[in-house]
Amino acid sequence: MKKFREALESGEFAITAECGPPKGTDIEEMLGHAKHLLGKVHGINVTDNQSAVVRIGSLPVCRLLSEMGHDPIFQLTCRDRNRLAIQSDLMGAHILGIKNVLCMTGDHVSAGDHKTAKPVYDFESVQLLQCVASLNSGKDWAGNDMKGATNLYQGAVVTPEANPLEPQMLKFEKKIKAGANFFQTQAIYDMDNFKRFMDRARKHNVKVLAGILLLKNAGMANFLNKFVPGITVPQELIDKLKAAGKEGALNAGMDIAADQVRMIKEQGIADGVHVMAIGLEDKVPDILSRAGIA
Amino acid sequence: MIITKAKEKQSVLDTLKDVQSVFLLGCSECASLCGTGSPEALAEMKETLEAAGKKVTGSTVAKTGCQVLGTKVELKPFKEAVDAADAVLVMSCGAGTQAMVEVFKDKKVYPANDTSFLGNMTRFQHFDERCSMCGECIIDMTGGVCPVTTCPKGILNGPCGGTNNGMCEVSPDIECAWAKIYARMERTGELDRLREILPPKDYSKKLSPKVWVIEKKKEEKESK
Repeated sequence: MKKFREALESGEFAITAECGPPKGTDIEEMLGHAKHLLGKVHGINVTDNQSAVVRIGSLPVCRLLSEMGHDPIFQLTCRDRNRLAIQSDLMGAHILGIKNVLCMTGDHVSAGDHKTAKPVYDFESVQLLQCVASLNSGKDWAGNDMKGATNLYQGAVVTPEANPLEPQMLKFEKKIKAGANFFQTQAIYDMDNFKRFMDRARKHNVKVLAGILLLKNAGMANFLNKFVPGITVPQELIDKLKAAGKEGALNAGMDIAADQVRMIKEQGIADGVHVMAIGLEDKVPDILSRAGIA
Repeated sequence: MIITKAKEKQSVLDTLKDVQSVFLLGCSECASLCGTGSPEALAEMKETLEAAGKKVTGSTVAKTGCQVLGTKVELKPFKEAVDAADAVLVMSCGAGTQAMVEVFKDKKVYPANDTSFLGNMTRFQHFDERCSMCGECIIDMTGGVCPVTTCPKGILNGPCGGTNNGMCEVSPDIECAWAKIYARMERTGELDRLREILPPKDYSKKLSPKVWVIEKKKEEKESK
């Protein structure tokens, strides 16, 4: 199986999944999930204190996954680090053999489990991308020469269903200008809308992986619609999950995800997919095989 | 103006637990507009303290409590009342309170308010934060709307994924700064300005404690 960057650059349909490190030092379950994905995905994202909830750091977990044989994508947010810490972590990622970094601003601390913490945001995503580009060129952010440059394949996120969309597209273009090579999108469900987004994205020399979020049941779909900005699950899909009943909902959700993956691949809508199963990473191989992949 | 909020009564009484007599000082500027340092606020505080068995030796509302020299002069007629008090309770912002720390070298000085932010009174008794005093104004690039202050993440280059139908994911009461910026710059025909990537803030401009001397005015005064 090709490495993530190689897959994208060679035009192969790229598949990534996501692992969220646990809170606490018992990491066996997470590693077990990751093992299920060996040979099935080109890259595996490791989240960075996802939802502003304290967990094991993304970087050491990336290293463990790399030792396991994965090609990890180091998610790096600006919420918890100033520009000094960000640069040390990026150089640290390089020496640990991490090849990919996903640059994000990061969920606000008010969303998480340490609501009284000081949010940092010394940089935000666009500036973080510029910073990675600078380190890749052998200069730190302040313009000082480095003894050895990083070589990180840098990516970013975008929300194709953001409302309003235009400011989001403006930022999307800034991210490309700042050096983003690839994008992993927020979860998409409305394929026509996503195609419209891709028509605009295709004007740029950048790879896009469509975000596929596994729906576990109708309740989850309703929750996403109500509480997660930029995600819209169409009623038709909610009805499908409902019709499948309590026992069959997850199976129906896996079918929905598989249909999306298949359509995106067969119609060449995007360059790959990023499958988010949130704790059910062991289902990802099944979803991929239902989609006709591997 | 500087927005202040009165501390809880009990919290003030806890602060004054070892103090028997108090001099009250308000401020006619921001703290009066916020109702935390006005004559009415001082009268209410006096009542609270007396009900708790404290003696209020005197009180006044300074014209501009953070103006150290002027306030010192204003307090001269109150020397006796201040001397008779165990502590001065200052009902203004943190700057006004520390002005009194500077004036009364050997006296206890305590704050009655929490100092919150630099804000605008946008409606009656309704204050909105608009400026973070970052030391390098960039709102010429953002349609006059400050993202440093009005975006909870202070993002300078566009909305995050949490923008939600014009509102912010952090709170349904906060408008998305970037939705506002974009809409306004569309109206003013300045969208091209938005395509420029803004660099991160220069935090050396915000390094505390700051000092600022207007040399020209100082020299003019000294030459007279």
